[in-house]
Amino acid sequence: MSGTDNQSETLLERLALDGLIARVRDLQVSSDSLTWSRFCGSLALVLVVLLFLSGAFMAFYYSPSPGAAYDSVDYAQFSIPFGDVVRGIHHYSWNLLLVVMGLHLGRALLLGAYKAPRQFVWVSGLVIMLVVPAFIFTGDLLPWDQKGYWSTQVRNSIMGSVPVVGDFQVRMLQGGPRLGIVALTRYYVLHTIFLPGLFLFLIAGHFHFLGHRGLSSPVFGRETARRKVPLVPNIVNRWLVLFIVVAVVLGLVAWYWPAPLGDPADPTDSTYVPKPEWWVLFLNQLVGIFTGPLTVVGTVIIPGGLVGLMMALPFIDRSPERHPARRKKTMLVAAVISLLVLGLSVMGYIEHHLTVLE
Amino acid sequence: MRGRIAITLMLALTLILGGMLLGLGELEGAAKQTVTVKRVKKGPTSLDDAVWQTAKAVRVPFEGKEKFEGKKASVTTKAVYTKDSIYFLFKWDDPTLSVTKGAWKYADQKWTHIKSNEDRISLLFEINRINKFATKGCTVACHVPKGAPNAKDGKFGTSSAAEKGDLWHWKAARSDPAGIADDTWITVISEKKGGRKGDAGSGGDKKNITADKSKPMYTLAPGKQLGKHGILLAADAVEITDYSVFEAGDVVTYRMPKKGQGSRADIKAVSRYGYGGWTVMLHRKLDTGNDDDVAFNPRKKYSFGMALFDNSGDEDSYDSEVITLQFKK
Repeated sequence: MSGTDNQSETLLERLALDGLIARVRDLQVSSDSLTWSRFCGSLALVLVVLLFLSGAFMAFYYSPSPGAAYDSVDYAQFSIPFGDVVRGIHHYSWNLLLVVMGLHLGRALLLGAYKAPRQFVWVSGLVIMLVVPAFIFTGDLLPWDQKGYWSTQVRNSIMGSVPVVGDFQVRMLQGGPRLGIVALTRYYVLHTIFLPGLFLFLIAGHFHFLGHRGLSSPVFGRETARRKVPLVPNIVNRWLVLFIVVAVVLGLVAWYWPAPLGDPADPTDSTYVPKPEWWVLFLNQLVGIFTGPLTVVGTVIIPGGLVGLMMALPFIDRSPERHPARRKKTMLVAAVISLLVLGLSVMGYIEHHLTVLE
Repeated sequence: MRGRIAITLMLALTLILGGMLLGLGELEGAAKQTVTVKRVKKGPTSLDDAVWQTAKAVRVPFEGKEKFEGKKASVTTKAVYTKDSIYFLFKWDDPTLSVTKGAWKYADQKWTHIKSNEDRISLLFEINRINKFATKGCTVACHVPKGAPNAKDGKFGTSSAAEKGDLWHWKAARSDPAGIADDTWITVISEKKGGRKGDAGSGGDKKNITADKSKPMYTLAPGKQLGKHGILLAADAVEITDYSVFEAGDVVTYRMPKKGQGSRADIKAVSRYGYGGWTVMLHRKLDTGNDDDVAFNPRKKYSFGMALFDNSGDEDSYDSEVITLQFKK
């Protein structure tokens, strides 16, 4: 055994990884890093890993051209053993990731985890959240089905309505005046190369800030010194258990309710009316409320202002107080905004999903 | 402690709400009609099987073309499937039973064709994807507009060899008496002929006509019985040796249905005409293993179109919009 250890150590030394491995082994984190009340971050990481793995599987079969994209997805989903499970995991993972990230953000907001010295943990997390929709938008077009095609058309027309830069950014995305092979290639490259690279960089940044500033201490209960445990194996093992459980559950969900694949895209079929997905219902309502010369209010000013406000929150709310009951102003503003988002979403749901088509 | 419980409850509530929102999942935008294929343990054995009571009926509207221009029709459609087979049940109004298909009639010492056709229903599925079939339906393969790449001879065919369709063709006179629907497929229209092909094997019908085309060549063989609606099956026919036995008013089948073998006879049919309409059941293996058939995977959705023929030829039909076929556990 010692001979094997020596060989292993020698190899690590030769690869100049011995120092890094030793540092990882020595890492100590709070024992509550992955508990029931604090597991959304870990769950989000599980979902991101599942998205990367399932996405890589699908990329083996995917062909990014309008004539072949749909058939390649159809083949991967229905002709490859467990292909529908893998695509289903990808589908349900991003939906669940949005929910989990929302909960993660909500918890940090509620418990004041964004406050000093963790301002950049908050900011980097928000930036990650802004990248996720870009993944969804670019991924939505890839199957080249009716829903993806026409949803992208609507999104791009909204994007194109942004003053000054709108038309330019749509042309950059599409590579021309309409969605075609250039657009599909660009969306594919963005979805599988550029955005994953950016995402990994941002996650690394988030962990960097988290590692240096630490997890926020509990707000409720007695202030006692928190026990430290080694990251490896204690927390990593817990995370692996979570990973396996989530993968199995999502796999079962995907098995019983396969991911949707609509009809192949038909650019000549103007009868197709895409419906906004659940997580953009409130944005869609804003676009519907502010029309004509006020369009920019719904497309840029309100969403941009909301993002700006959230980014600036740690620098506006600078008091050290973290208990929600003693941060009434912040909580009131957050509650009003949350209710508005929820209300608009409910209105959108009623308008787009409960209204019977004539 | 109370704070923790409150937070946990809020998180749980948000997760439940999130889950409900996930239920929105599939977001279809077009109002395309869907026929749901229900899973059953045992397939129906007759038109009145109790299994059909459990299947959801969908009233599919049809629009008339050519001589039926401006007219409308509808077919009530049900579908179920078992571990290995799929079953369709169609009901539609038709006040006239049409099953003669140019039958021979003897009168005034000579044989003439009765000027009548037959009732039919056909279904078209994709074997390989047909461009725009899912949104335009039979318009891109059967009832092709003038100027389309596959518009040669006006009908039936795809624009490229890669596009293949599975055409199920139930004919009241030419296939139903043999207990089948004619199983055919369509492919690219060539320079010389259309894109309709019969599946591998044998089937279809045999023309009952002499070489000089003046009279029928076959009659019912001794000991055999005429099939449904008095139609003579090709397998039960024997060459006529004495034409003097026929009397004025006698009718002899012109298009004699063949029993069919192989892939051509994959689709079994049961039918009944009564109460001013047709009730037709078609069933087939989900996956026949034949290249000329659509292989149904219950995890997938399919698009299909239907056409109805009321005592008419291919040009004159009632056509449905494209429909989604969705399997349900």
